[in-house]
Amino acid sequence: MTSATYSDALARYADFRKTPAGMDLALMVVGALTGAVGLAYVFYNLMEQGHAAFNTSSDMAWGAPIAFYLFFLLTSSGLSIVASLDSVFGLHVFYPVAKRAVFLSLICLIAGFSILALEIGRPFRMLWSLPFSFQVRSPMWWMGVLYSIDLVLLFVKFYLIHVGDWHSRLSHFVAKLSFVVCILAPGTLGLVFGMMAMRPAWYSNIMPMYFILTGFATAVSFLLFFTSLLPRDKTTAPNVDHLYHEILPRLFFVVLLAVMGMRAGQVITGLWSNYEGMEANWLELSSPFFWIEIIAGLLIPTALMVSDRIRRAPMIQFVAASLFNIGIFCARLEFLIIGQKVPLFKGYWAGYVEYWPSMTEWMLIPAGCGVFLLLYGAGNWLLRLSETEFVENGRS
Amino acid sequence: MPRWGMVIDLEKCTGCQACTAACQMENCRLPGEMWQDVLFYSEGEYPSGKLTWLPRPCMHCENPSCVAVCPTGAAYKAENGAVLIDWERCIGCKYCMIACPYGVRFYAEEKQKTQPDIRDVFPAKGDKVWDPPYKMPEQVQDPKHGVGVQPKNVVSKCTFCYHRTSKAPTGLKDLDPNDPATRKFTPACVVTCAPGARYFGDLDNPESNVRKLIAEKRGTRLLDQTGNRPQVYYLAGEAPVIPETRSVRKPKQSPET
Ligand code: SF4
Ligand code: SF4
Ligand code: SF4
Repeated sequence: MTSATYSDALARYADFRKTPAGMDLALMVVGALTGAVGLAYVFYNLMEQGHAAFNTSSDMAWGAPIAFYLFFLLTSSGLSIVASLDSVFGLHVFYPVAKRAVFLSLICLIAGFSILALEIGRPFRMLWSLPFSFQVRSPMWWMGVLYSIDLVLLFVKFYLIHVGDWHSRLSHFVAKLSFVVCILAPGTLGLVFGMMAMRPAWYSNIMPMYFILTGFATAVSFLLFFTSLLPRDKTTAPNVDHLYHEILPRLFFVVLLAVMGMRAGQVITGLWSNYEGMEANWLELSSPFFWIEIIAGLLIPTALMVSDRIRRAPMIQFVAASLFNIGIFCARLEFLIIGQKVPLFKGYWAGYVEYWPSMTEWMLIPAGCGVFLLLYGAGNWLLRLSETEFVENGRS
Repeated sequence: MPRWGMVIDLEKCTGCQACTAACQMENCRLPGEMWQDVLFYSEGEYPSGKLTWLPRPCMHCENPSCVAVCPTGAAYKAENGAVLIDWERCIGCKYCMIACPYGVRFYAEEKQKTQPDIRDVFPAKGDKVWDPPYKMPEQVQDPKHGVGVQPKNVVSKCTFCYHRTSKAPTGLKDLDPNDPATRKFTPACVVTCAPGARYFGDLDNPESNVRKLIAEKRGTRLLDQTGNRPQVYYLAGEAPVIPETRSVRKPKQSPET
């Protein structure tokens, strides 16, 4: 084979001969720059100081990096659920975003794992000491197993869609399996916290549900965010137009209401309870992260999504989705803090645990988001993410 | 095989922290990384204020939640009843620190509470956290049991002085610091305790002194509602309550005060 035939073969999978559109190029450039700055800063400090570059401590063992990890992993599962809605519930309406959702899900998962690798003490040792330990009593072990299966399934799912196989039995089977795993994996992540009776502010049997729901919500907001950036004109197919303008914003509104309902339940229970450790819920009221979550993350986006007319505007969708993502990141961080705020067994003199992320921890945001945008821009350029099954066989 | 346990008599304990210092030296801990600590509790105001304290090693629970959550099996219950960490398996995920109700596990990779950072003053050789100027007698290094100068990026905790207790001849009821025959197998904090408030012995042996103390002086376990079932017992004597069982929450739930 000549190199020309190799390149022809490759061109069937990736449109590298096409010049990237303006938005894709912008995303890649901005992503590459912020990602490079963020990663350089984080790596330099981790090399210099080890994990002391983070402000986590023996009392606040899990901080901002874990919040970031939660953010990406839960979103990934939510996106994968959206992509499987057709195979599981016959909801064809989500087809136009299915491929994009699988791709986003994949890069979210990779982003989440990468952050975990930066946070965990010995990431390379994890590769052998976790899978073969069979610690079936540890929810974290199950989480590792389920997310590993998830990663494999996502690759297979994306490959099948990418080669145009939307409807074979294998394709539907993989989608269904992936749906099940994407319920179990975030649910297990919820259990990692929800089962900890010694941490009353986390201890709750609805934690898996909360994680699945908020993961789904961020997934919808991600899709809204990225579809609001896509060009929309008269040539947009009616079903795609319907999805972008009607279905996604309305769905976002509904999940926002659901998240608010659940959060209200958590906050009220927390404030009411006298149980030792639950005073973290009172302390939370003086945390900026909490108010960013409530005001910027929940109230404003909900207000923007109430009216059918207003929520159709891509600009409004962009703003609402962005605010929600900032809010939910703060929510994840605050969630980690309240579980550890009241120290376990340190005497009166120790006081409450204070924690504010260090610069290195904050720089994980440009690092993670930069790489994420770079991958997304490249995916959008090369991998025909707008492709749907309708385009190919005209079925509706 | 004995199942070692500790009894701490709060009527005898003076809160002097000699046990804390002994443990630090014996086990090469960083400043502030107190495998054994004395916790203080103050209640009320002058003239009726009251100060109480509680010495606290790891409880070496019968049902250790730290072991249950560990995804790698690095945290484990040893055959002699001690809960240990295999430093060659631990990945530093810190889940065990989340799950221990008694807050006795430590992760050295954090900003040091005292400056200058002692790890810079005595820099590590190889993969270790630091190179302490004083190392435990015989310079024991036993990473499989979490003993010695620890490697970087793993979690550490009290080992019930595994390097001492595991050497004890079989059949001993108690490890008594006052008995020359057993002294060198006795945990450092027990040996050092000046008022003799700490006892160490076999909880499975009905003849042991620790069993008798627990039975006769109403030995109590802390936070028993967690179901962890500590192997460290406290004798409160005439005191109506063990300090830790009092709520740390301030009156009126005001977050600032
Ligand atoms: S006190 Fe904590 S670290 Fe010690 S055995 Fe019990 S749960 Fe584990
Ligand atoms: S930090 Fe180490 S001992 Fe603790 S749960 Fe993780 S792997 Fe186990
Ligand atoms: S038994 Fe040994 S390791 Fe445990 S607190 Fe006492 S001196 Fe420290």
